[in-house]
Amino acid sequence: MSDQVDAVMSREGGGTPLHGLVSRARRVNKIFVFAVLLPTLLASIYYGLIASDVYVSEARFIVRSPQRQAQSGLVGALLQGSAFSNAQDDAYLVHDFILSRDALSELNIHNGLRDKYARGDVDLLSRFPILHTEDSFEALWRFYQKHIDVDYDSTSGITTLRVRAFTSIDAHEINEELMTQSERLINRLNERATQDMVGFASKDVADAEAEVRRTTLAVSEFRNAHAVFDPERQSALQLQQVSTLQSELVAAKTQLVEVQSLSPANPQVSALRTRVDVLKEEIENAVRNVAGTNASLSGKAPEYERLVLDKDFAERRFAAALSALESAKGEAERKQLYLERLVQPNSPDVAIEPKRLQSVLVVFALGLIVWGLLTLLVSGIREHQL
Amino acid sequence: MSQNAPLWPSFNVQIRVIGALIMREIITRYGRHNIGFLWLFVEPALFTLGITALWNIAIHKHAAGISITAFALTGYSSVLLWRNCSGRCVNAIEPNLSLLYHRNVRVMDVFMARLILEVAGASFSFLTLSLVFHFFDLVPTPASIATVLGGWVLLAWYAISLGLLVGALSALTELIERVWHIVTYLLFPLSGAAYLVEWLPSGAQQFVSWLPMVHATEMIRSGYFGNVFTPHYEISYLLVCCLVQSLIGLFLLGIAAKRVIPE
Repeated sequence: MSDQVDAVMSREGGGTPLHGLVSRARRVNKIFVFAVLLPTLLASIYYGLIASDVYVSEARFIVRSPQRQAQSGLVGALLQGSAFSNAQDDAYLVHDFILSRDALSELNIHNGLRDKYARGDVDLLSRFPILHTEDSFEALWRFYQKHIDVDYDSTSGITTLRVRAFTSIDAHEINEELMTQSERLINRLNERATQDMVGFASKDVADAEAEVRRTTLAVSEFRNAHAVFDPERQSALQLQQVSTLQSELVAAKTQLVEVQSLSPANPQVSALRTRVDVLKEEIENAVRNVAGTNASLSGKAPEYERLVLDKDFAERRFAAALSALESAKGEAERKQLYLERLVQPNSPDVAIEPKRLQSVLVVFALGLIVWGLLTLLVSGIREHQL
Repeated sequence: MSQNAPLWPSFNVQIRVIGALIMREIITRYGRHNIGFLWLFVEPALFTLGITALWNIAIHKHAAGISITAFALTGYSSVLLWRNCSGRCVNAIEPNLSLLYHRNVRVMDVFMARLILEVAGASFSFLTLSLVFHFFDLVPTPASIATVLGGWVLLAWYAISLGLLVGALSALTELIERVWHIVTYLLFPLSGAAYLVEWLPSGAQQFVSWLPMVHATEMIRSGYFGNVFTPHYEISYLLVCCLVQSLIGLFLLGIAAKRVIPE
């Protein structure tokens, strides 16, 4: 086609320089133009003139607890079978939260975040909503996720949080706000865990204490009401008395029999007989005090034993509850999470993105590759002729 | 060979040549006995079935809500794609040397015929096994078929470019023939079929994401299993790898084609 044009041109007596230029332009490889020149030109215009500066604010933190977390190496992970996500790492709590809709809605109170990304001086391709597509919360969330970068190094446990925004102040503010929210999250989790663990144990202790008081009171009331201190010991004393009395009785009886057999008319006999009778009566009384009737010691003993048993159980329960509370407090302390800021969010003074020259060169390089590919393919096709 | 020859008729000729080469390839490879050319699909399917059965017996735990069967299906079908493509293209020229005598049969056509066959075989086997397993409730319904397709297409492109590269190299030097089997064998455990990238510590993750097949396999699995695991892949990296490898492959193919002397 271009040959014919040239033929016409030369037939009409030598073209002007403009005609020469146009005919040369037609011969330029179309693939080269569309694959390399055009994209590079467009990229240069965009990155050189249109694209707005993007400032990146970076902060680093680590989430730790006093309890050591096991690090598994490559072999350990392969052998563990279902070691897919290192669920022991509590840093993922914070990562997920930062990238979540919750964090976004807190940041976006009064549309604060949206306004930061929808500024009028930002170019149309970088602004939210991109190219005037939907202006919904969901779209904002996807946009937000592309501008937040959470990078986790599992060997050191350090997380790097990078926030991209269109001014330095915005980037710093968003980063700072996210860090504060994460700290609040960790505190909330800690509080809840502590409350749960220590709360139950404290309630147990309070209950046990009340029980102890009640049973002790019951015992002393019983003692007052029935005029007895400790039936067991008291009866032991009584029985001791009884045995003394009995030995005295035996002595008296022996003496009586002796005197009776020696001199029956002795005036001592009646005295001794009285003595024996009194001793017998005393023994009977003493025995009756210990056992036999309801008012005796052994009659009061069951009730007393029951109350004392209750008191014993209550005391032991109280002791157990106290030690459980101690260990619960210890557990809670060991499971506390701490979010330590290693590097505070910075206020960048220069915009390090977008990487303008690099992007243009990348477009150029890719264009060259595609040009090479297409040229080879097309020449391969052209080798087939009827 | 005119640079200004019209494109469309030449393309038609090339398509017909490749079609004829495919038919010839099928008949010479599979013959008309047995189930004939159905072996094209059945062989990869049997391979995958065998591996699936083996892994089911050997591994007893379900990994993160992913059944062993689904894991083996997605992993091994992906490996088959690039392994078969590259394997068939090694020394592909020699058996077809007599065909190159024809003016319209080019080295590129020979390769493309074999590659199209291999891609078709692996794809059909993947599709059939997916349907069969799904019928028996051994694998879940894919969460996003578009992602699975996208990953498969990119993997197929990668496999084709790898085949061209390896085929061209094998025509240029005899070393490739010996070395390529070793390379595929060593690449198999690394290539993402046997693990999910999120299982690895971050150092190993970085190392392994230099391999494009890993990205493709992750993408296929992400489409299949959805949110059950966190996929680690970058489409842009995979695309760039495919582009660069295709370019190098075609370029070397051009050089190899000039050296070929038809009998």
